[in-house]
Amino acid sequence: MSRDPRAFVALDRGTATVAASLVARIDGRWRLLGATAAPAGVETGAVVERLRRRLAASEPELAELLGIPRPGSAVDLPRVACETGRPPEIAVVAATDRVLAPLVAVAAAAGWRVRPVVLDGAQILPVASALADPRVSAVLAGASDPPGADERGLLPDLGAVVAAATDRRPDLVTVLAGGLAAPGSRVEAQFRPDRPGPTVLGPSPARDGGEPLRELLDGLRGGDHDGRRSLAAGATTLAEVLRRRIEVVEIGQAGATRIVAGFTAGRVLPTRWASVPAAALLPPAFTEAHLDAVAGWLTTPLDRLRLRDRLRELALTPWGDATGDGALLRMAAARAALERLRAATPAMDEGSPPDVVIASGGAWAVAPGPAVALALADVMRRAGIRALGWDHARLLAPLGAIEDEAERRAVMADLRDDLLLPLGSVVMPAGLRAGRLAGHLSVKGEGGPAELDLVPGGLELVDLPPGERAIVELRFRDAVDLGVRVKHAAVEVTGGLGGLLVDLRDVPLRLPDRPERRRDLLAAWQGALWAGMDA
Amino acid sequence: MIDRDVLAEIPARPLLVRGLEARFPLPPGDRAFVVAGGSVTAGDALLEHLRDRRIDEVDVHTAPDAERPIAGTRWAPPPGRRHRDHDGDGELLTPLPGRKERWRLVAGDHRDRVASPLGGEVTAVRPGAEIRIRASGPSLRGAFAAGSAARGRLELATDPFGELRPGGIDVGRAGSILVVGSRIDAEALTRARAMGVRGIVVATLPGKELRDFQASERRQHASLHPTAPFGVLVLDGAVRRSIATPVAALLERFAGTEVALLTDPPALVFDEEPVDLPAPAPDWVRVRSGVNAGLEGRVVALVGPRRFPGPVTLEAARIAVEGEPSLDVPIGDLERFA
Repeated sequence: MSRDPRAFVALDRGTATVAASLVARIDGRWRLLGATAAPAGVETGAVVERLRRRLAASEPELAELLGIPRPGSAVDLPRVACETGRPPEIAVVAATDRVLAPLVAVAAAAGWRVRPVVLDGAQILPVASALADPRVSAVLAGASDPPGADERGLLPDLGAVVAAATDRRPDLVTVLAGGLAAPGSRVEAQFRPDRPGPTVLGPSPARDGGEPLRELLDGLRGGDHDGRRSLAAGATTLAEVLRRRIEVVEIGQAGATRIVAGFTAGRVLPTRWASVPAAALLPPAFTEAHLDAVAGWLTTPLDRLRLRDRLRELALTPWGDATGDGALLRMAAARAALERLRAATPAMDEGSPPDVVIASGGAWAVAPGPAVALALADVMRRAGIRALGWDHARLLAPLGAIEDEAERRAVMADLRDDLLLPLGSVVMPAGLRAGRLAGHLSVKGEGGPAELDLVPGGLELVDLPPGERAIVELRFRDAVDLGVRVKHAAVEVTGGLGGLLVDLRDVPLRLPDRPERRRDLLAAWQGALWAGMDA
Repeated sequence: MIDRDVLAEIPARPLLVRGLEARFPLPPGDRAFVVAGGSVTAGDALLEHLRDRRIDEVDVHTAPDAERPIAGTRWAPPPGRRHRDHDGDGELLTPLPGRKERWRLVAGDHRDRVASPLGGEVTAVRPGAEIRIRASGPSLRGAFAAGSAARGRLELATDPFGELRPGGIDVGRAGSILVVGSRIDAEALTRARAMGVRGIVVATLPGKELRDFQASERRQHASLHPTAPFGVLVLDGAVRRSIATPVAALLERFAGTEVALLTDPPALVFDEEPVDLPAPAPDWVRVRSGVNAGLEGRVVALVGPRRFPGPVTLEAARIAVEGEPSLDVPIGDLERFA
C-alpha cells in the first residue's frame, strides 16, 4: 500500500475464484465500499472495473472524491493482494508405516499434497519411480529418533533410494527428519555435495506436536503472497482486534485451511494453523470414500454415477451449475471437505472452544448465510456457545498480506463491522439424555422475550437479526457440557442472518444409516435455514 | 455489439493455444532417443518403452579415481566375457547398500519404439521421469483425456450433437482420429481401438464409460503384445452436451489433416496454423453448464446480481439465443471464445 491512500483494492486470487473488495477511507476510518467475485479465468482488471462501475452508478460523488469516476480509473488504485495456487506435491518416504504416518500427517497439514511411500514390503521400482515423478517437487524422508528395531534394517535402502532420487533430479528439495537428520548422517553422505538442490535437516514429527516440522515444510513450498499464510496473519490480527478466540475454516477448490487464533488477558496467543490440500472441496485424488462422504450430506436423491459426473463437472468448472440442486451439491461437498479438514487437524479441537467460528473460501460463495451457519453447526461440533461469521468479501487473506502489523491492525479495527457477515450464534450443549426434556431456554433481547423447551435431538431457531444482542438463559435438568459442565448458564449472544441456533443434536452428529431417512432429516434441518430451497 | 471491457467479465476459453508443452512419461528403464534442446518431427523415434520391466543386480566397475555412477544413467556390460554377470543393458536405479559397486538395474527384454506424435522442440529429458516437447503448431485444449498419445488423420464421424455407436465404426476408419460429437460409450471406444482407430475426440465422457475404458486399457497393456497408441480427448466434461460450434468449426477446418492427440496435457495439436481459421464473434457465448447447458448465443448485457433457483444470487449476463427469447444466465455458466 502507498503511504497515505484514500482507497485501495483488496484482491484474493484463488484457483477457482478471484475476489476483489474496494476499501476507502471515509470520515477518518476505513470502510468496505463493495466486494465482488468472479471465476478465476476473468482478468483482475475486469473484476475491479465492475466494482468501480457499481460505485460510480450508486455513489457518483464518492467515486469522484476517490478519483475513480471514469472507466479504467480504478486500475491505478493501490492494491493489497494474495494468491493461492495449486499445492505442490511432496513424496514422504519412511521405512515402515509406523514411522510414515506421523510424517504424512504433518506434511499434509503444511500445504503439500502428499504421496506416501513406504519401503517395508514394497517393490523397489515403484518406490524409485514415485520419487522420480516430475510432479513431486520435494522429498521428506524420516526415521524414528533413535531408529526403531522395525526400521533399522531398511534404513540403508531408504538412504539409497533417496540418494538415487537426488541423482536423477539434482534440484530436488530433500528434507531429512528425525533419525535421518543428524548432520553428516549416512543418508546425507550419499548425496552428491555439488548438487544444486537443498538438503534440509528437519525436526522429528513427534516434537511439539509436529509444529516445528510443519512450519519448516510450509516455508519450503514457496509463494511470497500465499493466500493461506496471509489468511493466518489476518486471523491473528482479527483475534487481537475482536479480543476473542477465533477459529477460521477456509474451504477452497485446491485446499483448505484451519486457523485457531486467540487473545487472552491483554495478549495475543500463538496462532495455530494448518493448510490441508486433502480437504479441498474436491481433491484431485477423489476416491469412493470421498464420494460416500459427499453422498452422506446430500439432501436430494442422486445415484452414484450421476453424482460422480456432477462432481467431476464441479471440479472442471467450479463456478458452473451453481443454482438449484447444484447449490445443494456444493454444500454437501463443502460439508464433506470440512469434515476432512477437521479430521486432519485433531490438535485444534483441544483446548477451549472458540468464541467465534468464521467460514471463508469459495466453497461457501453461492449459499445463503443461514445455510452456511447450518453447515458450520453440522460439522464443527464442539460443546459450547459461539458466534458464527462469514468472510463474505474474502477480505481476511488480503488484509493479512499488509506487512506492517500496526497498519494491518488499524485497517482491520476500522473494518471490523464490515469484515464479517454475522451468521448468528449457536448454542450446542453435549451430554443431553435422549428421550426426555433436557431443560428450558429463555432469550431476552430487543425483539422481546422467547421461551423454548430443550428437547434433545432437535434443532431450534430463534429469530435474532444481525446487529441485535440478547441474553440467553439456559436451565438444564442435569449438568451438561457447554464448554464447561453446567446446569444453569446465562450468556450474551449476537444475532445474524441465521439468528440463534439452539442445536440439541448429538455431539458428534449421528445420522440415520438408511439413505432416505438421512436425506429427509438433513432436508428438514436445511429447509428451516434455506428459505425457498425445495430439497 | 457489447463493449469488449464488459465482455472481459465473462470467462474466456482460448480456441487455440500456442507453445503447448507436451509431456511423455519416461519411467525408469525407458530410454529417450531425443535430447533436450533438439527438435523433433512427427513420426521420429521418441523413446524406447520396456514392456516387461524387471530389476537385476549388476556390478558397476568404475576406475578408482572416477566418481560414483549416477542413478538414471544407462549401463551396458563391458565387452568380453570376463567378470560378466549380466548380458543386457538397462538403467541404473539405486545402489545396493553395503555392496560396493553393486547396483540395481532396470532391464527388460521386450521393447517398443514409441514415435513422437507431434513436432516441436524438446525442452526437457529427465531419465526416469519424462520428456517434454514444445509443440510447433497450435493446439486445442481439452478437459481431460485417457489412453495414450496418438497421431492420425482427423475425421468428423458425426455432427457436433451426435453420438457414435459401436456399429458405426469399421476398419475403414483405421489410422484416423475421429470427432464423434456429444458422447460415446466404452464399448464404442474399445471397438474403435480394435478397428485401428488412433483416437477419439468427444464433447463429454461419463465417469462410468471412462472407468470401463481405462480398465480395458489396463488389460491391453498387461499383455506382452505391443499395442497401437490410442487416446480419447474429452473436450468439456462428464455431463452430456454437444461440441461448441466455434470448436466444431475449428475441427471441421482441420478435418483431413494429420493431428496429434495428447493426454498430458489433454489437447489436440495441429501441425500448422492456417491463415483462414474461423473466428467466432467476440460476443458469442456458450452456456457451458447448468439447466441451459449447450445453448449458444450473443451477450446482450451484463445484468448484475440476479436471483436464480435455489434461491441463490449470482452475477448474470443476458444472452440472445436465435429463435428464443433472451435469458439471464449466471456468468459462471458461460464461456466465450478468444
